Amino acid sequence: MGERRTWGRILLAILAGMAVSLVILRVFTDLNDASEETILGRVSEARAALPEIIAQEEDLVMFYGSSMVEAGFSPRMFDRWLAERGVTVKSFNFGFGGLNPYFQEILSRRIAEQFLASDRHLELALIEFNPFQTTQTRWQGAESIVDSFLTMLATDRELMEIARQDPERGVRLFTIRYLRNDISAEMITAFFGRSLQPRPQDSDIPEDEAMEQRRTEVLEALEGRFEEDYPDYDGSDWYWPWQGGGTIPSERSEETVELIKELIHTGQSDRRMDNDRLFRIRTADIIELRFEELLVESFIQLVRNFQGFSKQVKIVLLPRNSDWIEYSPEGRARLEAVIERIARETGVEIVNLQDTAEITPDMFGDTTHLGRYAGDIPFTRLLVTRFAPLLTKP
Amino acid sequence: MLFNTPLFFFFFIIFLFFYGFVFLRQTPRVYFILVASLVFYGAWNYKFIPLLVGSAVGDYYFALAIAGAASARNKKWWLTASVVMNLGILAIFKYADFAISSVAEFLRLFGYDASPSLLNFVLPVGISFYTFQSLSYTIDVYRGDMEPRRGLVHFTAALAFFPQLVAGPILRARQILPQFHHIPKPEWTLARHGFLLITAGLLKKTVADLLAAPVALAFDSDGPVSLVETWTGVLAFAGQIYGDFAGYSDMAIGIALVLGFRIPLNFRLPYFATSPVDFWRRWHISLSTWLRDYLYIPLGGNRNNHRLRNIFITMLLGGLWHGAAWTFVVWGAFHGAIITATHYLSGLKPLAWFNESGSRWAKGLKWAITFYLVLIGWVLFRATSLDSALGLIADLHTFRGLPAPGEVALPIFGLTVAAVLLMHLMDRFILNRADWLEARWWLFWPLLIVGQVLCLMIGEPSSEFIYFQF
Repeated sequence: MGERRTWGRILLAILAGMAVSLVILRVFTDLNDASEETILGRVSEARAALPEIIAQEEDLVMFYGSSMVEAGFSPRMFDRWLAERGVTVKSFNFGFGGLNPYFQEILSRRIAEQFLASDRHLELALIEFNPFQTTQTRWQGAESIVDSFLTMLATDRELMEIARQDPERGVRLFTIRYLRNDISAEMITAFFGRSLQPRPQDSDIPEDEAMEQRRTEVLEALEGRFEEDYPDYDGSDWYWPWQGGGTIPSERSEETVELIKELIHTGQSDRRMDNDRLFRIRTADIIELRFEELLVESFIQLVRNFQGFSKQVKIVLLPRNSDWIEYSPEGRARLEAVIERIARETGVEIVNLQDTAEITPDMFGDTTHLGRYAGDIPFTRLLVTRFAPLLTKP
Repeated sequence: MLFNTPLFFFFFIIFLFFYGFVFLRQTPRVYFILVASLVFYGAWNYKFIPLLVGSAVGDYYFALAIAGAASARNKKWWLTASVVMNLGILAIFKYADFAISSVAEFLRLFGYDASPSLLNFVLPVGISFYTFQSLSYTIDVYRGDMEPRRGLVHFTAALAFFPQLVAGPILRARQILPQFHHIPKPEWTLARHGFLLITAGLLKKTVADLLAAPVALAFDSDGPVSLVETWTGVLAFAGQIYGDFAGYSDMAIGIALVLGFRIPLNFRLPYFATSPVDFWRRWHISLSTWLRDYLYIPLGGNRNNHRLRNIFITMLLGGLWHGAAWTFVVWGAFHGAIITATHYLSGLKPLAWFNESGSRWAKGLKWAITFYLVLIGWVLFRATSLDSALGLIADLHTFRGLPAPGEVALPIFGLTVAAVLLMHLMDRFILNRADWLEARWWLFWPLLIVGQVLCLMIGEPSSEFIYFQF
C-alpha cells in the first residue's frame, strides 16, 4: 500500500471512529432525555417566554433568584394586591432551582440582551441574594455541571472569550456545545454516580410514624385534584398563565387547600426537618456560610446586569427558618460582611427579610423553602407592603 | 495539552494531515515534528521552551565534545558538564525550594529561627523526563555505547517528540534517535495496534479519574473513615495512579505507533508482581531501567559487597525523582528497604523451600505479600505528610474504634477491585492477545468504538495527569 494511501486510511479511521462514537453518544444522551430542554427545563421555558413578557403593556416586575423565590413568590397574588392599591403591574417569578449566582449571572445577560434589544425595561427588579447558593460547598457541588451549563447559557462570543484566555477549555466548551449536545462527560458521570456519592449523616430524631402515615394518606387524597383544578395546564415548569409562579388558593377547592395545609404540616416532622437540615449543611454549608469569591463576584455582576435595564433594583434576602437554621457566629459575621460588600459595590439597597416577624417557621415547607399557600402567600403580601410605594405613580 | 482533550484531538488531526500529505521528505518531516512538539509543549507554558531546547542543544554539543575529546580526562570533563547542566536544571526548578525549606526546618530543630525566602519557581512540565532522557545520551556516548549523531534538529526533535515529551516513557537516545534519522513509514497494522493502545490508555485514564472519589474520602477526610473505606481508598489510589500513568504511557506509545515510531512498553502488569524486585521490573520500566543503568551499575551494582547499599541508594533517589517532598523520599526508602529485605530473605536457608516453590499457593502468598507492601508504599506516596501517612497505615490495621461504613462502602470496594482488575485484564489482552485480535479485525473496531464511546461518555478531560507534576 502506498504511503499516502496509508496516511489517508489512518486519518479516515480516526475521523470515522470519532464520528461513530459521537453519534452513539448522542443517541445515548437522547435516549436518556438529556438535552438543554430537559436539563434546564424551567430556565429554557422562562427564556422562551421573554418575548411575550416584554410585549406586555403593563409595567413589569421581575423577582429573580433561586428555588426559594420559585417556591416563595406568587406573581398573580402580588399583581392582585397591588391592583387593590391602584397599582397596575405584571410581575413574574424568575426563581430557578439549582442555579447558583455564576449561572444566574450568565442567564441575566441573556435577559438583559432581550430587554435592551426591545428598548424595554423593568419597573422593578427584585433580586434574591441567597447565601446558601453562594458558598464554596455549593460551588464544589456544581463543578461537574459547570461546562454543560455554560454551553447552554453562554453565547459563542462568550465561549470564544474563554477560549482566548484558555484555549484548551475553550475548545472543550465548543466541543460540548456542537458535538456533544451540551452534555459534558462530567455531567453524565455525576448523573450516574449519584448513588455512589457519600451520603449526609442521618438524623437521630425518631420517626413520627403516625405523622408519616397521615402524610401518605394526604398524598393519596391529593391525587388527581391538580388535574381537576387545572385541566389546561401544559406541563411546563415555567407556566405562562401563572407568570412563572405556582398555583394560588383561590383556584383550588376548600378541601384541596385543607389537604395542602395538612401536607405542609406533616412534612414538618422533626425528623424530616432535621434530615433536610443535615443535607443542606453538607451540600450548601448553611451554618458556617464560607462564601465562594467567584459566586459573590458573579452576584454583584448580575445585579449590575439588571441595573442596565431596570428602573429600580432591590436585593432581597428571603426569610430564614429560624427553628432549623441558626448561623454560627462566624457564619453570621461572614454573611454581614458579604451583604455590606454587595451593597457597597452595587449601590443597591438590600432588604433583609431573614428575621422578619411576619414569616414564622410553620410557614416553611422544609428548612429553607416557604411552603405552598402557608408561606408563599404571606410572603408575597409582605412584598406588596414593602414595595408598593416604589411602584405607585404620582 | 492533554491527550484526552478535544484540543489534542484537533491538534493531532491537523498534525497528521500535514505530516502525511504535505511534508513528504525526511528532513522537512523532522523539522515539522520539532515545530509541532514545541507548539504542543508551549500550550502549557511557552516560556519553558528555551529550557527544553537549551537542554537539547547543550547535550548535543557535549556528546560531540565527548566523542572528539583527545583524552579520557577531557571526556570526563565534558560528561561532568552535561551532568551538571541536566541535574542543575532539575536542582533549580524542582529541588531548590525543598532543600531550602528542609535546611531551615533542620536549623529550627537546633533553635535557629530560620525563615528563608523560597524561589517559588514554576515546575516546567516534563522536566524530570526530558532531562533524564537527554542525560542518557551523553552518558551512552561517553561509555561508547553509541556514536554521537550529527544533526542538531534531529536530536532536538527526538528529545521533544510530543507523544513522550511530558510524561515519558523515558526513551534512550539509541532507541529513538535512529528513528529520526530514518523516519519510519506508516504501517496500517502498527497504526491499528496504536489505536488499540490509545483507546486502552483513554479507558485507563477514565477509570483512574473515577477512582479519585474513594481516594479523596480516605486520604483527605478530616478524621478517620471506616476500615472498609480506608482499604478502598488505598486500593483505589493504587488503581488511580496505575490507570493515570500507565494510561498516559499507553496513549504515548499508541500515538507514536500511529506515526510509525516504536516506543517500548512502560508497564507490564505491575500488580501481578510476586516480589518487590519483580514489581520494579513491571512498573515504570523506563525509569527503573534508567536508574539501573545510570545509577545502580555505576555505584557498583551486584559486583561488590555493597549491593544492598546500592539498591537502597538507587531507590531512595528514585523516590526523590518523583517529587520534592519527604514523603517521596520515604516512599523510595521504603521500596529500597523491601527490595533489600527480599534479597536478604531469599538467601536464608530456612526460607529456601518457599523461595524456590513453584506451587500455586506459594505464588499466591508471594503475590499477596508484595501487593500488600506496594499498597503500604502508595500510602506514603499519596499522603500529604508523614504524620497523615502513618495515621492512615495505622487505620488500615485498626479493627476497633473506626466509624461504621456508609451504606455503599462495600459496593464501592467491589467496584474498586473490579476497576484495578479491569485495567490489568486490558493490559493482558493487549500484551498477549494482540495477534489473536489482529486476525479478527471485525472485532477490533467494535472494541475501539465501545472504548471510545465510554471515554467520551464518562471521561473527565478536565482532570490533570498525576505524573505531570513529576
